[in-house]
Amino acid sequence: MSMGISVTDRVTQDGIDAYAELSGDFNPLHVDPAAAAASEFGGIIAHGPIALHAFFRAATASLGGDALPPGSTVAVTYRAPTRPGDAITCELPDAFGEVEAECVNQAGVTVVSIRATLSG
Amino acid sequence: MSEDTPALSDIHYDDLIVGERMGPFAETVTPDLASRLAGPIGEPTPVEHAPPSVFPVLFLRALRRAMGGIPAGSILAKQELEFHAELPVESSVAITVWVGEKLVKRERPFVTIEFDIRTDDDAPVVTGRKIIVWPTGPGE
Repeated sequence: MSMGISVTDRVTQDGIDAYAELSGDFNPLHVDPAAAAASEFGGIIAHGPIALHAFFRAATASLGGDALPPGSTVAVTYRAPTRPGDAITCELPDAFGEVEAECVNQAGVTVVSIRATLSG
Repeated sequence: MSEDTPALSDIHYDDLIVGERMGPFAETVTPDLASRLAGPIGEPTPVEHAPPSVFPVLFLRALRRAMGGIPAGSILAKQELEFHAELPVESSVAITVWVGEKLVKRERPFVTIEFDIRTDDDAPVVTGRKIIVWPTGPGE
C-alpha cells in the first residue's frame, strides 16, 4: 500500500488557454479578461478540471499506472475558483479503496473536494 | 480538435430537453492529447493509456459538438466519473451526451449533463456527468 503522495500544479493563463484549445471550451470566464472581470468572479478562473488535475496525477502516481483502474469512481465538488497564478496541491494519504481528498490553493483554500473509489 | 474556431452555446434552460440523446461523436485519444494531460500542466509526459484528465476534455469536446459548448457564464458545480476500462492511446471512442436533469435549487438553475464514452466495439470506457449552474433559468 502506498504511503501517500502530494502533487502540486501551477496554474497559468497559458495553461488555461491551452486547455481551452484542447477541450473547445472558450467560456469567457476562462479566456476573456474583460468579461471575466465583469462577472461575479471578478477575473479569470480556470476550467474546473484544471483544479482536479493534481488529484488525478496523485492518484495515478500512487497507483503506479497511467490510468485509473476499472471500477474506480470519482465524485468532485467544486468549492472555490482556481485562478492564474494559483498553486494547487492534492495530498493522497492512501491510494486504494475509499478515498476522500481535497485540492487546496497556496492560501490553503479548498478548491475541490473529492470522494473516490480507487480500485487496486 | 477538428473545430478550431471558438464556439459558445446560447441554449437556454427552457430549450434543454431531458433525455434527448446526442451523438455518438467520434474522438481519438491521440498521443499528443494523452501526453499533454498526463504530467504537470505544460509538461507533456508520454503514456500508454489515457490518463484520467483526458475524460473531462472528451466530455467538453462532445458537449461542444452536441450543443455548441457550454453557454457563456456557465459554472461547473460538480463532476462525477466512473471508469470501466483502461483505454490505450490512439484508441477511437464514441461519446453520447444527454441532459439528465434540470432543476432550480436556491434560486439557481442546475443542469446535469450525462456522458457515455465507449470503444468502437461498444464496450464502456467511462461514464459520468457534469452538474452545471446554467446562465439562464426557467422563463429567461
